[in-house]
Amino acid sequence: MFVSILRITKFAGQNFWRNFWLSLITISMLVLTLLTINVLLVLNLVTDKAIEYVEQRIEVSVYFNAGVEQEKVTNTAGYLRDLPQVRDVETITAAEAYDRFQVRHAGDTAILTSLEEIGDNPFGPTLVVKAFSANDFPFILSALDNPQFRDAIRDKDFSSYEEVISRIRYTTDRIRLFGLGLSVIFLLIAMLIVFNTVRMGIFTHREEIGIMKLVGASNWFVRAPFLLEVIGYSLLSTVIMAALMYPTIAFMETRFDSYFDGQATHLLQYFEMNGWMIFGAQFLAVALISMIATGFAMRKYLKV
Amino acid sequence: MIRFKNVNKIYPPNVVGIRNVSLHIKPGEFVSIVGQSGQGKSTLAKMLFCEERPTSGEVIIGGWDITRIREHDVPLLRRQIGVVFQDFKLLPQKTVFENVAFALEVAGEPIKRIRQVVPQVLRIVNLGEKIDRYPHQLSGGEQQRVVIARSLVHRPKILVADEPTGNLDSVNTHEIMELLKKINEFGTTVVLVTHNRDVVNTLHKRVITLEGGQVVADVERGKYRL
Repeated sequence: MFVSILRITKFAGQNFWRNFWLSLITISMLVLTLLTINVLLVLNLVTDKAIEYVEQRIEVSVYFNAGVEQEKVTNTAGYLRDLPQVRDVETITAAEAYDRFQVRHAGDTAILTSLEEIGDNPFGPTLVVKAFSANDFPFILSALDNPQFRDAIRDKDFSSYEEVISRIRYTTDRIRLFGLGLSVIFLLIAMLIVFNTVRMGIFTHREEIGIMKLVGASNWFVRAPFLLEVIGYSLLSTVIMAALMYPTIAFMETRFDSYFDGQATHLLQYFEMNGWMIFGAQFLAVALISMIATGFAMRKYLKV
Repeated sequence: MIRFKNVNKIYPPNVVGIRNVSLHIKPGEFVSIVGQSGQGKSTLAKMLFCEERPTSGEVIIGGWDITRIREHDVPLLRRQIGVVFQDFKLLPQKTVFENVAFALEVAGEPIKRIRQVVPQVLRIVNLGEKIDRYPHQLSGGEQQRVVIARSLVHRPKILVADEPTGNLDSVNTHEIMELLKKINEFGTTVVLVTHNRDVVNTLHKRVITLEGGQVVADVERGKYRL
């Protein structure tokens, strides 16, 4: 058995070298297919990170009426903190709101003059609420419609972030769909090339195969080198892909991190931790599909 | 050993290969199958090593019913049958040793046994000195002897030679025929397919004559009569 496996490996190697350029094209096409799949994967990770980044910055400002009792504000803040969806609640008193307004509009004398003319502090206290997820805000906002707090609240500000998130999702979903379509097209082309490579292999070896059959080679002995050859293609293309991915990810990670204000995307770490699984699964999938294409080619052209 | 019972072979759409052939070849016999081109000789020979299946009838070879043989049993049958062709079918990029060893390699034989058997068989066909030569460095007769050596490495019970002297001059033809006779003397059944009158007439062995796909004569110690 071991001897037969060695010989099959030898014949598979001969197939590879005798059709070297065709083998190279097949591997290139498989690498291209894997590249689109991995770009999709990175895109997925970056999108998640982008959404997380935006979500971390989403906050709802709850503006209270001027002159509302501090106790009411404290109770509302306490009520919100008890909600499992709420990550943090910051209280800005009326005086702090007044000061912040002054700082924000320090260069605008018209506004500052108007503020002075009013005389009293026109601002009420404000609660700045942060949630764990953007999806939690509708619930938080509806919770504030509770009659216990509703009358004390002047306004709630949220909508613009919702739009940003939905835009990110919309754009990435479209890119993802395009990438998926591209992957399927590349995969189909790759399979056609694998089919053709095996067909050429059978043609190149027709004399040898004829003699093999004549002298009593078993069917699997004749077929196995072709299957082994495409497993080799799949393995080589996955290794090339992995070798290309790591330095590319390492290079891109620093750019992504600076884009997200220094927040680490941990892309490389993700690939280091899940590399075996990611590239192992990709190898298995490509090998399986290539073997199916080989099966079709052998059924059509290799009459054993 | 070999039994054909009412065997017909029709190629689509309606070309007759052989028609209603019944014959029996005993173990150790040397049988020549003769006939002009297109009379069904090669079709009959191909059935012996399962390259062709009959359209109807029964073909029994060494206990195998090839009309009902399972696909994975075909290689086992072929290892019991040596085949020699007119066009040699040698691999040009392999040496004499490698060509003969190839038959054992594909059957999963260990290297040790290959190194032992191949030189022995090559000595039998008088090629012990040319073990490292490539086919293009050999004469036609020598190439045919390599093919015979390759067909012998499995120690087959039957040797089918389809026009083995078709590409050879008279000297090489004589050498090959002497070799086939020697192989037959060792107990291997030899089925020789030929239209070489001289070869058949000098053999003085059984001759089966095919005409229009049918057996028209089957004579012990026969001659080529067409």
